[in-house]
Amino acid sequence: MAEPILKVRNLVKHFPGSQPGETIHAVNGVSFDLQPGETVGLVGESGSGKSTIGRCVLRLYRPTAGTIQFGDRDITTISEREMRPLRKEIQIVFQDPYSALNPRMKVGNLIGELVKLHTDLNTADRRDAVAALAARVHLNADLLTRFPNELSGGQLQRVCIARALATNPKVIVLDEPTSSLDLSVRAGILELLGELQRDTGVSMLFISHDLETVELVSHRILVLYLGSVVEDGPSSAVFAKPSHPYSQALLSADLPPDPDVTLDRKILQGEVPGPVHLPPGCPFEPRCPIARPDCRQGKPPPQAIGDTHHAACVRVADGSNDIRNAESLADGDTHKKLQDQFIGRTS
Amino acid sequence: MSLLEVRNLHTHFISHDLNNNQRVAKGLNGVTFDVDKSEVVGIVGETGAGKSLTAMSIMGLLQPPARVVEGSVTFDGNELIGLSAEDLNRIRGTELTMIVQSPLTSLDPLSRVGKQLVRAQREHRDIPKEEAWTAGIQTMTTVGIPDPERRMRAWPHELSGGMAQRVLIALALINGPRLIIADEPTTGLDVTVQAQILDLLRDLVRDREMGAMIITHDLGVVAHYCTRICVMFAGSIIETGPVREVFNNPRHPYTQALISSTPKRIAEQGYGQIGGPPPNLYALPQGCHYRDRCAKAADICHQTPPLQNAGGGHQARCHFAVDDATATPTVTHG
Amino acid sequence: MTDVTVTTPAPVPGFTWTGRILGITRRSPTFAIGFLIVAIFAFIAAFANVISPFGPIETFSDKVLIPPGSEFWFGSDGNGMDVFSRVMHGARFAFGIAVPSAIIMLVIGVPLGLIAGYKGGMIDEVVLRSMDVLRSFPSIVLALAVVAATGQSLINVVLVIGFLDAPIFTRLVRSEVLALRSSGFVDSAVAAGNPTWRILFVHLLPNAIRGSTAMIAVRMAWAVRISATLAFIGVGIQAPTPEWGAMIRQGAEFIISGEWWVATFPGVALVGIVLGFNLLGDGLQDLLDPRRKATGK
Repeated sequence: MAEPILKVRNLVKHFPGSQPGETIHAVNGVSFDLQPGETVGLVGESGSGKSTIGRCVLRLYRPTAGTIQFGDRDITTISEREMRPLRKEIQIVFQDPYSALNPRMKVGNLIGELVKLHTDLNTADRRDAVAALAARVHLNADLLTRFPNELSGGQLQRVCIARALATNPKVIVLDEPTSSLDLSVRAGILELLGELQRDTGVSMLFISHDLETVELVSHRILVLYLGSVVEDGPSSAVFAKPSHPYSQALLSADLPPDPDVTLDRKILQGEVPGPVHLPPGCPFEPRCPIARPDCRQGKPPPQAIGDTHHAACVRVADGSNDIRNAESLADGDTHKKLQDQFIGRTS
Repeated sequence: MSLLEVRNLHTHFISHDLNNNQRVAKGLNGVTFDVDKSEVVGIVGETGAGKSLTAMSIMGLLQPPARVVEGSVTFDGNELIGLSAEDLNRIRGTELTMIVQSPLTSLDPLSRVGKQLVRAQREHRDIPKEEAWTAGIQTMTTVGIPDPERRMRAWPHELSGGMAQRVLIALALINGPRLIIADEPTTGLDVTVQAQILDLLRDLVRDREMGAMIITHDLGVVAHYCTRICVMFAGSIIETGPVREVFNNPRHPYTQALISSTPKRIAEQGYGQIGGPPPNLYALPQGCHYRDRCAKAADICHQTPPLQNAGGGHQARCHFAVDDATATPTVTHG
Repeated sequence: MTDVTVTTPAPVPGFTWTGRILGITRRSPTFAIGFLIVAIFAFIAAFANVISPFGPIETFSDKVLIPPGSEFWFGSDGNGMDVFSRVMHGARFAFGIAVPSAIIMLVIGVPLGLIAGYKGGMIDEVVLRSMDVLRSFPSIVLALAVVAATGQSLINVVLVIGFLDAPIFTRLVRSEVLALRSSGFVDSAVAAGNPTWRILFVHLLPNAIRGSTAMIAVRMAWAVRISATLAFIGVGIQAPTPEWGAMIRQGAEFIISGEWWVATFPGVALVGIVLGFNLLGDGLQDLLDPRRKATGK
């Protein structure tokens, strides 16, 4: 197996809270590898820490603990000045292209900025490079003289992707890249990303709360809850056989856009608790329908399910980790019946 | 006669630019649909399609430069367009209510939740505060807020997203409406919370025989929580019908493109038709508004397409809607 | 794969000067009026030398305190000078104070706001507290003290005013920077590899200063008022300089005896220009803020 391009070990990131003495425990011991040419999906709801992990990898934040290794270089604590030349190797595409770009610069200059900052090309060569990048992301050259507010969301996100590509990075972090785009435009962006990965072998860290999108684009995924990895593995394996109770609940709550699919929902009670007061043991224990007393004794280590598939649940060992066995869950059968009646499936 | 009947609604934004040229953005171009009791109609469309604008036009919440320039909206037989604010307020907030987007910014940050619930009632009826308070607690229970007596005293900023959304639903329910309009009720909420909120809405509709209109861009929500779907594009409804019908047999090229662009379909069929830039509401193409982006566009599309019937309440506004026997996946364009 | 083509219209068809003037007036009548007033005063200030009937200190010792009439449109003052010409030349002083002080306010205030907002932490605290201290002094008292200490000259007045008002811009710019930071704008610039100076001056500055443009006009009005006040109490500019404040001071002694025109006309001019600047600032706010394209949803 090739050397991973990115090695994250026991990453911890805490922020000071709004009240004195409070800490926001955003990321609590996350480890993963990113191989060249691979897309790893980070999936989770609010408070999962997925965006924070992305920003730590880019050193927009300084980790509280743990290590981040990029290639053969430890970038965990280097200064911004040391980081700057490395930025051409790790880039990011944000969720909202309108707030990420300087509204007073023309789109062509926005793309050209990346070229200017990291290469020595003269103006003419730079212009060619920008034109080539625009073509690569299928952005009409006419748009290069426009301002960001004159472009649609999809077009502008292509501009952001062009910027991310401009320096031929090895890793691109994508933080909810399609969440603020219309449905009909998302597919185009995803297709573009796939194409670029095939052509350039760039690795991607794809952060999203949209399960179906993540399944489509990722090779491997990490399921996050309250700053910890609860399950990780090949995308197909995790979606076919979610092993952690949270993953099971999360995947079952997904609404496929197909009315003929019968929902098999496992509705959790309550909401994700705040990141200030973490539960003592497994982060999911307070809401877990199959929690046992020993779940409170420290964070469960990842248990192997397949070669590269792990779930951090104590019940994996004895195979009792299926939440369909839970009695305390909202009545799945009644829900199913109500749903079918409602939609008119059973007549 | 349906509970809500919208007929040929046209809403325009009429303004002047800095050069004093009049600019008209045609937000809604002849929107027609019904919502009856015990049905949930899902309105889907991209940004600029006119979903929220439809809701605002129905509720009489348009601000200048937006104006309804043509069309009618009848609620229980009463015409709403052109009603005075006073008359409108008798229906709004009582029989016809709306849940707006972004709950955390829609609640009054300076009043406790209970006070807002009481206010919502006493604005429309003359009832003593204690009675209104009790009714408030009851409604909070109905929407599934745990420990309602205590929560009545909570400030909006103390609520989580899901909790705040439930409070908004409580506010919409408290005067016993016959129709609820929910504008993106689950956007921004966690997936696990979305399920709770949608189940709640579904149960309310069923238990109280209310009508509901859900505006969303999430096809999954429509597929499982709506009985009928209206697909909007550039200010008009280009396809409508029972949910299963439309999903299994989409007739309009836009709907076909929309359904085939979901990740599951992409996994099965590959990337097909790619969406285009949003239509320019200041300069809509003549005839079919979708023809600039449509794979099937032909000369006839320069004429406004008629509403074609595909049977069983399923209609699509396209010249080719009923020509093809089956819904074919759209051809790659370009 | 479709090329993502453009259907938004190319910018600005139908531009005419009349159209533009009408369009702006419609959008903000306040701006139009304010602009007109300031423009008139600016014109007078620019061409006072050429168009005033008499020189600013041209004296007719035999024509003292003549009431307004055909010879002296605004009458003549206690030294036999034409009030009208002096009022016109006063406009030059008004702008000569307003514009440089505005520049100083910006040059001092804006960079401090940028750095405080961007860096945060200790630097932010230090800047904020210093600004608070500065703003807690009553400006007139401080201006008096400084000018009295450093000498009665126009330049000193300008410097003091500029210095005292800088904190306003520091605060405005700082909050814009904070807003931009929380929107991910700064993260994006950092991630692109921008060095700090580029982030501050190429990305933050043009966007953070947008909210301050209206305030600039308002502070210019204030600058004119405060310099007139200083002159009125006898600090800064002195007679026979044709500055409106000094002229009012001079004319004050004649009001009781009935020669109202010596003080009134410079007073009206003062009110006029201050009103003009204030309306201009208000109107700019109207223009810049709600100027969003109307989109249907």
